[in-house]
Amino acid sequence: MTNVARTGQTLLVVASSMLFAAVTSAMVVRRGIGGDWVAPELPAWVWATAVLGPLASWLILRGWVRGAVIAGGLLVGLQVLVLAELRMAVIGEAFLSVLVAAHAIHAAAGVAALARWGERAGLFWHFVGALWIYVLFLFGVWA
Amino acid sequence: MFSTDHKVIGKQYIGLALFSVFLGMLLSLVMRFHLVHPDTKVRLFQMLWPEGAPGGQMTPELYLSLMTMHGTIMVFFVLTTAPQSGFGNYFLPLQIGAHDMAFPVLNMLSFWTTALSLVTLLLAFLVEGGAPLSGWTAYPPLSGLGKITGPGQGLGQDLWILSIAMFCVASLMGAINIIVTVIELRAPGMGYFDMPLTCWGWFVTALISLFAFAVLLPGGVLLLLDRVAGTSFFIPGGLIVNDQVQGRSGGSPLLFQHLFWFFGHPEVYIAILPGMGVISTVLSVFSGKKVFGYKAMAVAMLAIGGLGFVVWGHHMFISGMSPYSSIAFSVLTMAVGVPSAVKTFNWLATLWGGRLRFTAAMHYALGFVSLFITGGITGLVLGQPGLDIYFHDTYFVVAHFHLIMGVAAVFAIWAALHYWFPKMYGRFLNERLGKIHFFLTFVGVYAVFVPLHFAGFVGNPRRYPDFKEYEFLKSVTGLHMGVTHAAYFLAAVQLIFLFNYFWSQRRGAVAPGNPWGATTREWTDD
Ligand code: HEM
Ligand SMILES: [Cu+2]
Repeated sequence: MTNVARTGQTLLVVASSMLFAAVTSAMVVRRGIGGDWVAPELPAWVWATAVLGPLASWLILRGWVRGAVIAGGLLVGLQVLVLAELRMAVIGEAFLSVLVAAHAIHAAAGVAALARWGERAGLFWHFVGALWIYVLFLFGVWA
Repeated sequence: MFSTDHKVIGKQYIGLALFSVFLGMLLSLVMRFHLVHPDTKVRLFQMLWPEGAPGGQMTPELYLSLMTMHGTIMVFFVLTTAPQSGFGNYFLPLQIGAHDMAFPVLNMLSFWTTALSLVTLLLAFLVEGGAPLSGWTAYPPLSGLGKITGPGQGLGQDLWILSIAMFCVASLMGAINIIVTVIELRAPGMGYFDMPLTCWGWFVTALISLFAFAVLLPGGVLLLLDRVAGTSFFIPGGLIVNDQVQGRSGGSPLLFQHLFWFFGHPEVYIAILPGMGVISTVLSVFSGKKVFGYKAMAVAMLAIGGLGFVVWGHHMFISGMSPYSSIAFSVLTMAVGVPSAVKTFNWLATLWGGRLRFTAAMHYALGFVSLFITGGITGLVLGQPGLDIYFHDTYFVVAHFHLIMGVAAVFAIWAALHYWFPKMYGRFLNERLGKIHFFLTFVGVYAVFVPLHFAGFVGNPRRYPDFKEYEFLKSVTGLHMGVTHAAYFLAAVQLIFLFNYFWSQRRGAVAPGNPWGATTREWTDD
């Protein structure tokens, strides 16, 4: 990976982290003062998707980018399924939708980048995988 | 057209900003006219805005939509584009000895996303209901409920949010490009502290943009969802608008204000820091001296950028925040005064004992320092919660931010244009016209904005379409009349600049390679 590609991806990671931090803090505030918070329920299979990010990362490191693209694409597809179930009028689920959708956009971009640039886009993908675990953690453990 | 050359893209951004600044100015003239002639019917208004000015009589809603578009165009499409993306694109690679930006295609995409965002915004004028009413800050609930809150709050407000969201994406891409270029593409042997201060300005601004726009973007998305998906991020429960209960629950309008100002205050530095860099260069070149305290200047920029993220609460003193938070935000706000003062004193010290050459660019640079001091001092006034509770949402704030953000940043753009024109077009901007334009403009801006402080003293609220119903504002009727005439004058003298800008591209005196005797690389490299 060239220095330019690495620094570019690192900055993208910084910007995306900031974006997710903003939504998280909005959620913390909204949950605290709204008085109408109900923790969203996710179907059990959703937790299993946490492995897809790291699985793809592992495949990238093994040099099997096509496998990583498939795993990543699967993640995006499952995220769309989750989104279809969520109700926007319920605030907890609305936040979850925003985070899942934002993540799905990142994951789709990550998959596209892997397909186009192969291992060189790996750094961004590792971040995307970790970010999904963060989102699941946020709702599974905290919310 | 879809060039990936940084110089072309730089000029495209400058062109976009130039179009925007004149459009924004025209809107402001219409507003100033209406403020002093609220009952005059104007045929042109009816032709332009049949819904907003039936029979030529401007409605309050039309006034507010003009105000919203004026502010949005100026803040985003002028102050955020020309200094950073315009001059930054053109000169950053040249000054650090890079061939181009790190990601030329991304650069091209950033520009065209910005252009699309401008088109989207302007479309709001054409759709049913017209442009939105909620100002450049778009506070909910007004901005979050749709048509029921007024014409322009339907599709117009949707387009506004979409436009800003696109602008965020474009700015994030632009910021990444600039930061990577600075970090990775400096000429061999050039350390960070060997870069000209202009590059520091663009670098720090890009860092600020990276964090600030990453917060505005989700803020805008949540607002849009409140409008189109029935969520309650920002809309409180039991809200009644036009006798209708809105059926939402638990949302917090203040949450939006926090997200907005976490972006909004850093945004003001996005507008001014590139200008500060330019001013440092221009003052030093035309004093025949190095910048006084170079390192302190660079560090001051970093400090301003950093502190800029912890002072947003000073826009919310009246929001009912705890007095302890107010004090904290107030103290931090005052702290920004320190690096700001460092910069000001270093500019003066740069001039001190120099062999001054009063070129047009030098005039604008000195004008910038003057405006920065005038506007900065009122910032310290507004940073006091006790005073701000009175001044908030009055014309005092209008005066403050126009002087420091609006006008100072635009003076920096003029300084940059006069200074770099020979590089960009191989010819000089006419020096004499430049100086005449400078003096008339300098008088004009002070004539417009100094009196507005006094309007603020008597408690004159901002964002009101007219003042005729208010007994206590009778005392400032004459003042507003004067301001409006000063605004006509100010707008008229801009024709001098416009003429100079286009005429000199073809007919200006041909410039030699390094006309000002500068030491930075852009004059010797290509
Ligand atoms: C020492 C420096 C500064 C201080 C202490 C300061 C303080 C403040 C405060 C307290 C307000 C809020 C007033 C209110 O709404 O009641 C304000 C508003 C504003 N300031 Fe400053 N400021 C400073 C520098 C700047 C600079 C450098 C810029 C732009 C380049 C700027 C642009 C603005 C703008 C645009 C607003 C109005 C926003 C709005 O409500 O629409 N300020 N400032
Ligand atoms: Cu501020």
